Amino acid sequence: MSRARGRLGPNLNWQIIVPVVSGALLAVGAGLALCFLVALVGGDGAALAFGGPAAVVLPLAAVGVASGRRLRSMPLRARDGFFAVTMAWVAAAAVGALPFLLHETYGEPVDAFFESMSGFSTTGATLLDDIEAQPDAVLLWRSLTQWLGGVGIVVLVVAIAPATGLATQRVFYAETSGVTAERMTPRIADTAKIIWAIYLTLTALGFTAFWLAGMTPWDAINHIFTSLATGGFSTRNASIGAFDSLAIELVAITFMVAGAINFSFYWSALRGRQRLWPQAAEVRALLLILLAAGAVVTGSLLLADEGRGVAESMRASAFSVVTVVTGTGYTTADFDEWPNFTRLLLLALMFVGGCAGSTSGGMKVIRVMLLGKAAAQEVQRQLQPKAVQVLRVRGRVFSEEVRRGVFAFFALYLTVFVVGTLVMAAFGLGPLTAASSVVATLNVIGPGLGDVGASESYAAVPDGGRWVLSALMLIGRLEIFTVLVLLTPAFWRPNIA
Amino acid sequence: MRVIVIGCGEVGQHIARTLSAERHDVTVIDVDAARVEAIQGELDALVVAGNGASPKFLREQGAAGADLLCAVTHSDEVNVIAALAAHQLGARRTVARVRDSEYFGEDESFARDELGIDFVINPERATAEDLAEAILLPGAVHVEYFADGKVAVAESILTERSPLVRQPLGTRRIVRPSVIFGLIRDDRAIATDPGHRPKIGDHVLVAAAREDIAPVVAHIAGRAERVRDVIVFGGGRIGVPLARFLESARGLRVTIMERDADRARRIAEQVSDTTVLHEEGVSKDALLAHGVDRAGAFVACAGDDRANLLAALHAKQLGAGLCLSVVSREEFTPLVDALGIDAAFSPRLVTAEAILRAVRGPNVHGMYLLSGGAEVVEVQADAGCEAEGRTVAQTNTQALTHVTAIVRNGKVVIPKDDERLRANDRLVVFNTRQGVAALAKTFDAAA
Repeated sequence: MSRARGRLGPNLNWQIIVPVVSGALLAVGAGLALCFLVALVGGDGAALAFGGPAAVVLPLAAVGVASGRRLRSMPLRARDGFFAVTMAWVAAAAVGALPFLLHETYGEPVDAFFESMSGFSTTGATLLDDIEAQPDAVLLWRSLTQWLGGVGIVVLVVAIAPATGLATQRVFYAETSGVTAERMTPRIADTAKIIWAIYLTLTALGFTAFWLAGMTPWDAINHIFTSLATGGFSTRNASIGAFDSLAIELVAITFMVAGAINFSFYWSALRGRQRLWPQAAEVRALLLILLAAGAVVTGSLLLADEGRGVAESMRASAFSVVTVVTGTGYTTADFDEWPNFTRLLLLALMFVGGCAGSTSGGMKVIRVMLLGKAAAQEVQRQLQPKAVQVLRVRGRVFSEEVRRGVFAFFALYLTVFVVGTLVMAAFGLGPLTAASSVVATLNVIGPGLGDVGASESYAAVPDGGRWVLSALMLIGRLEIFTVLVLLTPAFWRPNIA
Repeated sequence: MRVIVIGCGEVGQHIARTLSAERHDVTVIDVDAARVEAIQGELDALVVAGNGASPKFLREQGAAGADLLCAVTHSDEVNVIAALAAHQLGARRTVARVRDSEYFGEDESFARDELGIDFVINPERATAEDLAEAILLPGAVHVEYFADGKVAVAESILTERSPLVRQPLGTRRIVRPSVIFGLIRDDRAIATDPGHRPKIGDHVLVAAAREDIAPVVAHIAGRAERVRDVIVFGGGRIGVPLARFLESARGLRVTIMERDADRARRIAEQVSDTTVLHEEGVSKDALLAHGVDRAGAFVACAGDDRANLLAALHAKQLGAGLCLSVVSREEFTPLVDALGIDAAFSPRLVTAEAILRAVRGPNVHGMYLLSGGAEVVEVQADAGCEAEGRTVAQTNTQALTHVTAIVRNGKVVIPKDDERLRANDRLVVFNTRQGVAALAKTFDAAA
């Protein structure tokens, strides 16, 4: 019953893929409906751009989800998992692009898709030059795409991936297994509910905090959507910098970091479990990285002596470091104007990212930690070839598969980065712009350096480049393996389980 | 005393032999009928084939009236079940060998208080502890602690560097309060008097308070350097706990050599600071490649006595400092001295120590078995016992023992001959076998 009957094309189980993708689209449809109501109330003429797609997507998605009701207990094979997850993001981004096209925010499909993918992947790169000119519904839609994309990736990594069986875990999240692939509850549905509860609670807290810090409720809701999701879309052209408020920046920093922490860490912490060491170690490392990077950046700004005071330097550094490491992409100061050392340090920090199983992108702190340890052990092995080495973080042992996975991940990451940069350069971008546009999208950050810097939009990138960067956001968001496996010939060969 | 021993492997046989030599009624139970037949002729005990974990069978064998049941089969689970069953049937004391520390870990109180098993012994773990203590006390090849760790009895080998050699013991410089009460020569323990002149190669036995033992042993050994590198050959049930004990000590680098690749990996997961090497060879070259010549201590504790002895011999010849070897089978023990290996440790002896402690009754608290049948025991002098009020010299003469240290009100006293014993003194007593029966008579109020 669960076998795909077709003998041509890839051996995929549509009975599973359709409900999964429909589920994602149902959430997107709900978001569209919400924006439709906002547009109706606001009376800014954008209602049809949201109502139309919502009216089409919601019933179709509902049918798709309903078709999966009977198949609850069906095992999800790795290949179906990769395909369904990638399709879910692509479909969400495609449907999410419709309002931008219909409202004529963008004339070109590629631009609308770029903006939408930038939202659902929680990147935060934009092609808009004048954000404030957009109607409220469009601004809310941008924030919503990030909020949905944020919780989507957490549910995927923390709830679904660990529950989909060994094969999926091994290939899908081999490199993080042991950290994220630890089930919070026996049933996926329960885990997903807990994640939603944590996410909603944090959203409510953040909304209140932004409001108290001086934002209007409207700005507060938009900004908590994009900060907790470490997305980075803002309702202002000057991003968080437009508010020029220390309180707001502190709230933003808090919730960007909150979004960059492993959600199963919250669960363990809530239950007062003693065995949250691997997660706790990762969180501690993240905070240490933020502190150390903040100190170095502050120091470099002070040394550059461009007339900023100590307090001013600290404030600008702290915000920029957090926004870059967590992969949010808000801006207060234009760090592209900072000293060269500082700019490149921030570029390097973009690769780190937050914790595994959080809303942030990048390589993830735990992988960086494991990679460092594994590499140091390889050096050590030159001296003692017979030594048996174990990959360990805070007493927690990681399997040899994790070691392989981490190295493979790093190799693929670098390859994608190098090839991506070359492709962007082929589109005529300068070296810094080409490299940083790839770094900022692959790590789902948002702003880069040069022509895609903090004060610029991605408008300087030609159409072809926009497609490539959209693809990089997807690849980065789904942690490389997921998308790349779809590009292998073996995946498309029929009749292989 | 009626004793039931379940399992007649190395340990079971040793216990049965020791206890029957002390004139106890011993019943040995083993599932293997062939082995039962083979053993029957060698033991002065009743040997029966059957399942020792079966309550029905245990009742038939008279577990209800037994004074002691020792469950020492190869299976931890069988041992625990047998001990539980015997306890329920009414056996007075039960001892179970449980080698997997997953069950009870270091804390025996659950087994004792909740399950009613009087002693849970983990011989390998205890052996590892003994090895670690010897390594951590420079100059000693063995050290045993008594009276909650307050009194230490150490064994130290005399070399040409030692100031004690060929000098009367009575004339030695007293660094800290301590007493040399005996020595081991040619595999036999003998009691010493102040006029005795020890020779090179003698294993001197010395008692002192815990805080004094290090300088005393250092003085006796002549020169004692702190061990910095330990190489553990074999990462089995002894090697791994040993490494874990040692890695918690400051400034000590531990290396484990394990021949099995999978096992080496599992060990590496269990230890934290220890270097684990996957090394198949026992050859000199292999040992040399890992710096055995510079190691402060080398411990051979692989599963096989032959490999252990060979590895320890190589290590000694290559110039490793303290060379210790685990020797499980009795017949290999004489080789240890002959090969120049500093000391042998045996899980079998550790088990026997624990069980003899249980046999000797409630007054005996600690036990250290020495080669040649001698032992150091910790006993409590009951109020109203024969020894109360007598001097140490009188007690020594009467019970054919040597009182080496007294713990009184929490303080350690190294007694002079005219020291009078009081009720509730904890005594650390050296005794060369002849004294076993007299011992109970002297210190037990009931006897």
